[in-house]
Amino acid sequence: MSSHREAPEISKDPVADSTDLYAFVSPDNPDMVTIIANYVPLEEPAGGPNFYEFGDDVLYEIHIINGTDVQHEISYQFRFQTQTRNPKSFLYNTGQITSIDSANWNRPQFYSVSRVDEHGQSTVLASGLACPPCNIGPRSTPNYQTLAEQALFKLPGGGRVFAGQRAEGFYVDLGSIFDLGTLRPFQNLQIIPTPAQPGVNGTEGYNVHSIAIEVPKNLLTKDGSNPTDPANPNSVIGVYTTASRRKASVLQGNGQDVEAGPWVQVSRLGEPLINEVIIPLGQKDFWNSQDPQGDSQFASFYAHPELAALLPVLYPGVFPNLAAYTKARADLEAILLTGIPAGIIKGFQNFTGTIQADLVRLNMAIPPSANPSLLGLLGGDLAGFPNGRRVFDDIVAVELRAIAGVTIPLVDPSFKPDAAAGEINDFIPVQIPKGVRYQKQFPYLGEPFDGYDSRPHQE
Amino acid sequence: MAKLTRRGFIGQTTASVATIGVLAAVPTLAAAPEMTDVAASDTSAAELSATTFSESVVAHVSDLASGEITIMSGTKEIILRDTDLVMRLLKAVR
Repeated sequence: MSSHREAPEISKDPVADSTDLYAFVSPDNPDMVTIIANYVPLEEPAGGPNFYEFGDDVLYEIHIINGTDVQHEISYQFRFQTQTRNPKSFLYNTGQITSIDSANWNRPQFYSVSRVDEHGQSTVLASGLACPPCNIGPRSTPNYQTLAEQALFKLPGGGRVFAGQRAEGFYVDLGSIFDLGTLRPFQNLQIIPTPAQPGVNGTEGYNVHSIAIEVPKNLLTKDGSNPTDPANPNSVIGVYTTASRRKASVLQGNGQDVEAGPWVQVSRLGEPLINEVIIPLGQKDFWNSQDPQGDSQFASFYAHPELAALLPVLYPGVFPNLAAYTKARADLEAILLTGIPAGIIKGFQNFTGTIQADLVRLNMAIPPSANPSLLGLLGGDLAGFPNGRRVFDDIVAVELRAIAGVTIPLVDPSFKPDAAAGEINDFIPVQIPKGVRYQKQFPYLGEPFDGYDSRPHQE
Repeated sequence: MAKLTRRGFIGQTTASVATIGVLAAVPTLAAAPEMTDVAASDTSAAELSATTFSESVVAHVSDLASGEITIMSGTKEIILRDTDLVMRLLKAVR
């Protein structure tokens, strides 16, 4: 998946497992940038009685660099605290939850937001903010939209924040791709052929936990300006999210843990599918522990990605040009590790300098698209992935096609991509699968599926 | 300008007063993460027992051979080297 359960250790620690990271100019408020960091993969909506929460013992962070200064970050830190109102009840809710402060909600969760500037100065922006409950069902959470709206909070200096359950917005044919790289629409061409079929959305009907923050653009630029020139390096930001745990944890045998020591990073996420597909199994946990500023140590995996070598093997005769291409993949290194420099795509750049780092890079001066393409830049839409990432972008199609070679001519015009490279995807035609939920307003990911009504994979 | 790392930010912004108190109560410990050699304790048991620790203290013998002990309290981490203490700990678990 994008980054769900992507590494051996973090797959055992769901509350700290970052699944997707989005960054885009807010379509209904273009002076703002929205950043969404998702955690807790594959929430089965009916998974009670202990429904899903953020980890009180996890430090969640969203980090932002500006322009070509990759070494200095602005960070937003999120810390959660959960209460049990009635410890004598086994119930998540003891009656209907009709407002976010309902006494019937037995496990309310609250959080604080701090901003750490590029000099390390920390400011608490807000505390005691309430998350909404999980979407239980029509009896327990009868008007979920109201609960979610009550969990939208304004931040000092502008912008808003939301933290809580949302519908999974990322779509992929999970069951197919991990069955020896099968793509159902093309599986008649696979090395173990079966009749072609439509794709199946493996995340259909599941929820996640989202930390969404809307930030005025001028709080993200070094000079406090609102960027309007796409060619200006300071119009570009790079974003990644991390989760950290305390270094020492001692189980006391009474249900209480002792925690001590500095925060240790256990999960990180920038561009989708990097730790999932690019980084090999033996390096994934290590990758999660590292700062992106040190990602040159992983550059060889981008230069010679395993999947690019596998495609011609899994689909014999379909990718002859890709099979014959032995040069380092400078296209992938540029797109994914430094951003695309000016002069490659007319009117566009999201270059953050020569330091290689896995970041979602967003040129904030590119306005939202009135007619967005799910294929982002590959579809001629400069406001889409990999210029940031919107909630609906088909990042699987874009990255599969890039790995298959469609972006090589950007840096090596002598290469001719295979005909199939520009067509492959797990959903044909390229489309948002039925049942995926979004909304037009912040936080843009849709209302979570409720436990009573939902039937994951049967929506 | 020296590189400011994210971990540096975290350390600067979350170190607690209580932790500083713990460190001050043990004068043989360096208040920095570098290695510190400790020949012998110069802090009496009475002094230690009189100290109020509001944070849990976790010690990990991270390298038996060199007598390296990692001590964690609050968000602080101190590394010291005390072969005598490590030897006593080993005897205790034998």
